[in-house]
Amino acid sequence: MSAHAAVPALELSGVSVSYGQTHAITDVDLSIPQGTLAAIVGPNGAGKSSLMKAVLGLTSATGDVKVLGKRAAAGRHLVAYVPQRRSVDWDFPATVLDVVLMGLYRELRWWRRIGRGERDRAMQALAEVGMADLARRQITKLSGGQQQRVFLARALVQDADLYLLDEPLAGVDAPSEAALMATLRNLVASGRTVVAVHHDLSTLQAHFDWLAFIHRKVIAAGPLTECLTLENLRSTYGTQLLAVPAVWEATHA
Amino acid sequence: MPDLLAFLGDPTVLIVGAGAVLLGGVAGGLGAFAVLRRQSLLGDAMAHAALPGVVVGYLVSGERSAGPILAGALVSGLAAGLAALHLSRLPRIKSDAALGVSLSLGFALGVVLLTRVQGSAGGHQAGLEAYLFGQAAATLRGDLLWLAGAVVLCTATMVVAWRPAKLTTFDREYAAASQVRVRLVDALLTGVLALTIVLGLRMVGVVLMAALVVAPAVAARQWSSSLLGMVLGGAAIGAGSALSGALISASAPGLATGPLIVVVASAVAGVALLTSRRESQRA
Amino acid sequence: MPNKDSRATIPPSAGRAWRLLWLALVLSGAGFAQPPLQVVATTAMVGDVAKAVAGECAVVVTLMGPGTDPHLYRASASDVAALAAADVILYSGLGLEGRLATALTELGKRVTTAAVAELAVPKGERLVHPSGVADPHAWLSAAAWAGTARVIAELLATELTARAPDGASDCVEGLAERAAAYEQRVLALHDWAKATLASVPRERRVLVTAHDAFHYFGRAYDVEVVGIQGLSTDSEAAVADVRRVADLVVTRGVRALFVESTIDPRTVLAVLDAVASRGGTAVLGPELYGDAMGVEGSSAGTYLGMLVSNVTVITRALGGEVLPLPTSVAEWVTILPAASSGEGAK
Repeated sequence: MSAHAAVPALELSGVSVSYGQTHAITDVDLSIPQGTLAAIVGPNGAGKSSLMKAVLGLTSATGDVKVLGKRAAAGRHLVAYVPQRRSVDWDFPATVLDVVLMGLYRELRWWRRIGRGERDRAMQALAEVGMADLARRQITKLSGGQQQRVFLARALVQDADLYLLDEPLAGVDAPSEAALMATLRNLVASGRTVVAVHHDLSTLQAHFDWLAFIHRKVIAAGPLTECLTLENLRSTYGTQLLAVPAVWEATHA
Repeated sequence: MPDLLAFLGDPTVLIVGAGAVLLGGVAGGLGAFAVLRRQSLLGDAMAHAALPGVVVGYLVSGERSAGPILAGALVSGLAAGLAALHLSRLPRIKSDAALGVSLSLGFALGVVLLTRVQGSAGGHQAGLEAYLFGQAAATLRGDLLWLAGAVVLCTATMVVAWRPAKLTTFDREYAAASQVRVRLVDALLTGVLALTIVLGLRMVGVVLMAALVVAPAVAARQWSSSLLGMVLGGAAIGAGSALSGALISASAPGLATGPLIVVVASAVAGVALLTSRRESQRA
Repeated sequence: MPNKDSRATIPPSAGRAWRLLWLALVLSGAGFAQPPLQVVATTAMVGDVAKAVAGECAVVVTLMGPGTDPHLYRASASDVAALAAADVILYSGLGLEGRLATALTELGKRVTTAAVAELAVPKGERLVHPSGVADPHAWLSAAAWAGTARVIAELLATELTARAPDGASDCVEGLAERAAAYEQRVLALHDWAKATLASVPRERRVLVTAHDAFHYFGRAYDVEVVGIQGLSTDSEAAVADVRRVADLVVTRGVRALFVESTIDPRTVLAVLDAVASRGGTAVLGPELYGDAMGVEGSSAGTYLGMLVSNVTVITRALGGEVLPLPTSVAEWVTILPAASSGEGAK
């Protein structure tokens, strides 16, 4: 992989997304290097999900998006997506294993049955997130943290190079949070890249090593130690975050 | 006993029964998707909105032959369904409101056209009212061929599109991100549902067809642990209810078949809900 | 007097609006000493008799065209205008024109309105269904309908006399003459129908139709009538009905089942299917004229022609022999050798 080490995992150039008259994000330039655990933060309505959708090709965007130097479909093939667990109605007849196997649908032709090999891969992914013993459980019976881990396992079976997660730790209990972060760190350790929209400023420093502040455009981006400054916080959150000083202290405890 | 055998062997009973099984099976199976996608009303909207197409089909072809009438029903029902889907994607209107509008508008238009046709010269128009509640007893052998064909078509479609359909039903965002053509899948599912509904109009009628789609699926949900289980369970319950309803109504004069089928299917759904041991979903 | 065809043949393709215009033109062109009465009839069965009786003394317009179901027919705004402009309104009655009832009652206050079937058929001779509802299909019995000619003639005569007490005598006579002649023809037709249908063996003399419209016919010509669906066109035929009728058809060896021009044939087809699986050989007979007559211009487009068609078709299909028409009728209608009614000259 060292030959490609210079190529950013994710590169956005002049990316803008608008819905009718509303401009969600304007002229975003972002370059996230490989092998980082990156967080994208910003207040509500800052355009974080629009950014994510642009990368995934889910919304019409102007500008250039490259994943590991590749554009469009070729690039998107290298991406695995973990949506917010709240975006799904969990009242669905399926087991945990069923959901993880869905991660393989993209690569299987419709006539190919799901066999031993596929099941093994899925079980392995479940083991990674610590859910292997719950493989046969109905998903209606999962806790929030368990749901999130299942989603992550589903992404893991894709064996992607870039993992995009939308608020993966929101409403997740402590054990699940620990399991999730452990898995993400393992991914990064093996050379992959993780980019997560993150909601909780107080845990930034604990979990991530790279940071991008977004508020309709990029306010600041870079390694976390350089980027996480009081000034950047103020510029991004403005009057929204009354507790900036408190956050600052918490992150620098 | 010989009476029962004679009854069950009677060709009319067999034809009506076979039609019921085919229709109930495919409707109950597809109903799983309608229910899981929270689009139960979609089937109802398409059934009610098929009425103007029935009348226009008759007006265009000038006679009572099935082809143009059912083609018209398919076009108007499908148009209403797709319109409702499109409307619900717009920011200001939720899907239930969009479906409600489609349903009422379509049905009202149909009734206006129907009464207009009845009052006009040109004749041959009586019998269009049979589409409101169906006329199961008038099921002919030719109808069975159409139903069987539809079952084959719907099954083949679902087999090929199974994984995309499952994925879009469970997690639409993830499906889109996985390069699944979500809108195409939507249209496909709506299409097979519309086909089923149109073929069911002559047996069960416009007003009640939706119940045959929804009730078996609701029942099956209580007892299934996988999507395939729910689809097959729905098909079985749908076929069984339809057959029971048809047989019961055939056994005595004065019992309307279509409504009776729906009563049986709804009763099964009611029992399933009452005896369900599923816990309520955790937050 | 201007040589006008007072039967006022309306071009077949004309709609109601054009009829109104035609009426206006006729009115404006009239230069009679006694202008002809403007008569509007609801059904063609009433209108045809009225035309035969009216001669030059009245202009008759019919509201309902061929194939229209009179049970369901609603008056449009132009219909009401035509009705209001008329001197006399003739309708069938006995509950046939159900959805015109309010309009007819209202108009009855201003215009002379008469239910000819109710006037022609005395209460004691009317047929009533078990549910208590009157059967309005009296025209299907020639004997019952024959009386309408005289009823209409008297009505028109009274009306003409009321308008022009001195100058009406010619018309009054003419009306009475034409009515008597027409009645004779209809009664001759009745005898012919009875004799023709008698040629079908009693066993097989069963008329199976989708619903019960032919009881007057059945009583007049000694034919057993079976309606699959029952009285109303609204009710659904049940599987039990289909089986019951199929059994009857096979047991009695009935050769044909019939559909009226205004009914969906599927129920009858279902019965035929059931008959075939029981080894029976019944077929679908040609269309019958029940609630409406045939297309204007064809002989089934007249009252006489309609009855001749029904009787011919039923007799042939059930295995009987059609007798030649009596001379008084033969001038007006002919029977084609094929299984369809003849194209008669008039």
